[in-house]
Amino acid sequence: MVIPQAARRGALSLLLFAGFLAAGSGIPHFLDLSNLLNVVRQSSIIGICAVGMTFVIIIKGIDLSLAGLLAFCPMISGMLMLAGFGLVPSMAAGLLAGTVMGLFNGLMVARLAVPAFITTLVVGQICSGLALIVNGGRSIGAFPERFVFIGNGSLAGIPLSDLILIGFLAAGWFIQRMTAMGNHLHALGGNEAVLRQEGISASRLQFFVFGFSGFCAAVAGLLLSAQLDTVHPTQGDAYQLDAIAACIIGGVDLAGGRGSIPMAVMGALVIGCLRNGLDLLGVHPFMQNVFIGSIIILIVFLGGLVRRRQELATRGTL
Amino acid sequence: MNEPLVAMQDITKFIYGADGRPIRNTEVKILDQVQFDLAAGEVHVLVGENGAGKSTLMKILGGIIPPDRGELRIAGRRVDLADARHAREQGIAFIHQELNLCPNLDVGHNMFLGREPRRRGLKDAATLYERSAALLRALSCDLDPRTPVARLSTAQQQVVEIAKAMSFESRVVIMDEPTASLTKREIDVLFELIGRMRADGLGIVYISHRFEEILAIGDRLSVLRDGRSVGTLPIREFEPGKVIRMMAGHAVDVMYPRTHAVRPEPVLEVRGLRLTPRTPPIDLTVHAGEVVGLGGLVGSGRTELAKSIFGVRPFAGGEVRYLGRKTTSWSPGRLIRAGMAYLTEDRKSEGLVLGMSIRENLSLASLGKVARLGLLSRTLEQRAAAGFIRQLGIVARSPEQPVATLSGGNQQKCVLGKWLAAAPRLLILDEPTRGIDVGAKAQIHKLIDEIAGTGVAILTISSELPELIGISDRIYVMRQGGVAAELAAGPELTQEQIVGFACLGA
Amino acid sequence: MTLEANQARTAAPAQAGRPGPLLERLGALAGRNASFVIFASLAILAALTVGNFASRDNLVIILKQSAIPAVACIGMTLVLMTGGIDLSLGYLVGLCSILSGILAKTLVLPAPVVLLAVLAAGAAIGLANGLITQYLRVPAFITTLGTGYILYGVAQIVSQGSIINRLPRPFLAIGRTDLLGLPSAVFVALGVALVFQLLIGKATFGRQLRAFGFSPAAARLSGVPTARVNVAVYTLCGTLAGLSGLLFTIRVNAAQPNMGGGVFTFEVVTAAIVGGTSLFGGVGSVVGSIFGVLSIKIIENCINLLGVSYHLYLAVQGAIILVAIIVGNLTHRRE
Repeated sequence: MVIPQAARRGALSLLLFAGFLAAGSGIPHFLDLSNLLNVVRQSSIIGICAVGMTFVIIIKGIDLSLAGLLAFCPMISGMLMLAGFGLVPSMAAGLLAGTVMGLFNGLMVARLAVPAFITTLVVGQICSGLALIVNGGRSIGAFPERFVFIGNGSLAGIPLSDLILIGFLAAGWFIQRMTAMGNHLHALGGNEAVLRQEGISASRLQFFVFGFSGFCAAVAGLLLSAQLDTVHPTQGDAYQLDAIAACIIGGVDLAGGRGSIPMAVMGALVIGCLRNGLDLLGVHPFMQNVFIGSIIILIVFLGGLVRRRQELATRGTL
Repeated sequence: MNEPLVAMQDITKFIYGADGRPIRNTEVKILDQVQFDLAAGEVHVLVGENGAGKSTLMKILGGIIPPDRGELRIAGRRVDLADARHAREQGIAFIHQELNLCPNLDVGHNMFLGREPRRRGLKDAATLYERSAALLRALSCDLDPRTPVARLSTAQQQVVEIAKAMSFESRVVIMDEPTASLTKREIDVLFELIGRMRADGLGIVYISHRFEEILAIGDRLSVLRDGRSVGTLPIREFEPGKVIRMMAGHAVDVMYPRTHAVRPEPVLEVRGLRLTPRTPPIDLTVHAGEVVGLGGLVGSGRTELAKSIFGVRPFAGGEVRYLGRKTTSWSPGRLIRAGMAYLTEDRKSEGLVLGMSIRENLSLASLGKVARLGLLSRTLEQRAAAGFIRQLGIVARSPEQPVATLSGGNQQKCVLGKWLAAAPRLLILDEPTRGIDVGAKAQIHKLIDEIAGTGVAILTISSELPELIGISDRIYVMRQGGVAAELAAGPELTQEQIVGFACLGA
Repeated sequence: MTLEANQARTAAPAQAGRPGPLLERLGALAGRNASFVIFASLAILAALTVGNFASRDNLVIILKQSAIPAVACIGMTLVLMTGGIDLSLGYLVGLCSILSGILAKTLVLPAPVVLLAVLAAGAAIGLANGLITQYLRVPAFITTLGTGYILYGVAQIVSQGSIINRLPRPFLAIGRTDLLGLPSAVFVALGVALVFQLLIGKATFGRQLRAFGFSPAAARLSGVPTARVNVAVYTLCGTLAGLSGLLFTIRVNAAQPNMGGGVFTFEVVTAAIVGGTSLFGGVGSVVGSIFGVLSIKIIENCINLLGVSYHLYLAVQGAIILVAIIVGNLTHRRE
């Protein structure tokens, strides 16, 4: 199926992960169990976003609204909680907001032929703006204990964040491998004409994918704020790049049609390790951004090279 | 039983104008009362020159386009096909030349795309692979259904498509030039497959122009020409000469202007050029003031040769000499500045910039001529535009009119004008009168003659034999990536000769 | 395959009721000058509904606010006209801001040298964007997304997180010299606008750019040096981004790495789109983009005057872009 070849593409992330563990053994405290669990906990935000993003990239789209949603959704939930609404309804509201924004992106792409990068960029910007407006640019915090527990607590020794990440990983993998829709999503990215010929609606797939990505961003945003016990209106900015980088390192092909959820999550762990390791080494976060930005360009370029070489090789006929 | 599996009666398809409406009252139609039938357990070969209508007829049978008149009967029952899926449900499978698979999925998932087997609501991969393997085995293919399609050869992909088609319980299989990219061995395997399908009672329509294959696989043969059925014969009556005559028809009594004279200096010399590592070397020369035609069937490599000469397509060996200099690796820009011009086959996406006006398109290949110190001069440009509009007879309200609103003929004249403005010494024309009304065609023929008269060397590709014979001084006939023949103009040159070389080779 | 292409399965589109000829001509006129129409409508609306809008001081403020974004917007317009985008623009502004501060104050270089150096830096980064997009075939939005983050990181590192203020007077004079009651920055912007209007409207390069934006294949086959044109637009955009960073720094008398940023990129794209630039390439103009900048600055100005939260401005920009794109797509479809 798609997995074996995707695993080959994602081999990079496996290698890097192993590499980081090896290199990390040289860094004091890197390989401590508590640090590793912490790495996964921090990577979980990126990882959950990457699950949604993988589907988007598979259907040849991109989701640049993460930054906005990662701030906007928890802002909504947070304000509701502080206003006295119950934990569950507040969280539900935030999740709903993210999903609705995602569905809106889907609408733009599916029905109005707006390129994905623009609509998600715009929606992201709008949400960033709203996150700033809703509380006059100020952060909010001091949430109920049960909420903070979600971000920082553990179950049987495993942080809840990790479990949530595993849950999304499982869900994403499940959709990809175990449902017919998973096949259709890949087909949409591979050869849309064939999909249409079989009478499958591309629009419905697009709605699902963008809606799901919005939902993932909402979950990640809430989780982040639970971890930090704060909603800062610009907290999402750093994670957007990381989510895309995670997918690319995980072998998701920007040209569409190819990518594996487990590998993308692995890519998120790589990024998490990278940041954690560099933090422990005292490297400035902004320098880290420089690395990651360069890595993205490099991998996309190399991927493009490989693809073009393959195309030339099969071009034996007129 | 003696109802044929498929009966197409009086099928007519009109040419559609630029406004999207059919042009009903002319002699020229895409298909004109064509009859075609197919029996169960037979391979019915369909032949015809480029533009004869074979693809259109099959697209109608495949449900991709509707006929304007006439009816289609399947097993005696009249059917109106809504779309390709409906056709498939009626048991008609179409194996296109460009294969319809998702390269990023594996064989099994391609075969069952949209019909994935389920178990308790979830995709049942095990059953999917089992069924795919079974379908492939039925075609004597032992491919592992888990193989990604991108790793398959064209022949293997074709088998997958056939297996997929068969899985719909098809009774009719349409194959459009299936052997175009296959090796001899792969062709044998395909024919074996076809033999088995025939034995199972399927009806197969096989579009091809390869005579040796037609003899090997066909039961009956139908010839189309200019949208009309010319005749149907059983394969035992097949005789290359006879079929070629049926395909080619008589020379049409149109006067083609001939006032230019060939000059001795060669402008373009192609030596030993191989379009791909597997095709034979091509030698070709065009002299100043000469019109050289390039004939051959679709897929024979004519456009590829033109693109290779013009520097937009890499080729596998040999060289191009233009005006005595070796230009093998020159960029199009450099070639244009040296006086080479290429009027492409697809004028809308490669010949014209549709978002710009007539004036802007006319000057695009010669911006240096209407600019002073890097700044475009409106007056120079308008003067030049007005000149070409007059000279070429472009019908438009003003030079500022967007080129997208012009008719096909006028658009083509714009492209021609663009190249004339660049003062070319070699003009390569790829299907210069395709999709253009008769009046504009005649004007363009006259222009070609006049341009040659000024000493410009012209290499023109055309699928319209009367035109090719009418305007050319010499003709190279291409076949399968190489030159099959070089023919001189003259009263002995007939359409049959050209078709003969195009189908049979040297 | 033109004959085959003619066989559209669908019938010819239904002819909607056609408006009268006068209305049609007005509509066409408005369409061609949409950006001016939008600007004028907004100005009139604002003058009528928002108190203080039409005062001379306020109008001068709008002009001053528009000058520097206009410079960057012209650069972005060029890139959009090729069908690409430069998501690193805002971050380049920040980098050039801190760069100009360091050169002017820390290294005490003469003002003209600082100007040239910053322009060169912007050009170099733009060139990198162009080369990667053209020769490495990386899609523009990914390239500039990546370089944007890199630039942001570099700016933060170079500045060590601090701001440089109280810049030398000769340096400030580039943008703050008072001419006819307006700061020189406004005239710099005007100068840039004139130069680029000439470049796009009259120069051979502009024609090549437009052809490339509409149809890269046809342009290439007609001899347009598409690779060079593509790289050139990113280089020019980077240069103009650098210039706007420098001017911003002068205006607030502070060099900071956070100048500009993603928000500024977004504002500039919005202005270009309001100004009639098409995301698909080929369509765009300097004049249109200037009206686009003026239009969104009018909106910002009104938001300020009305005392509404500034953050609403960001949300509004997003809405504007979406509306503009949807309208653009719908009219595009009808053709």
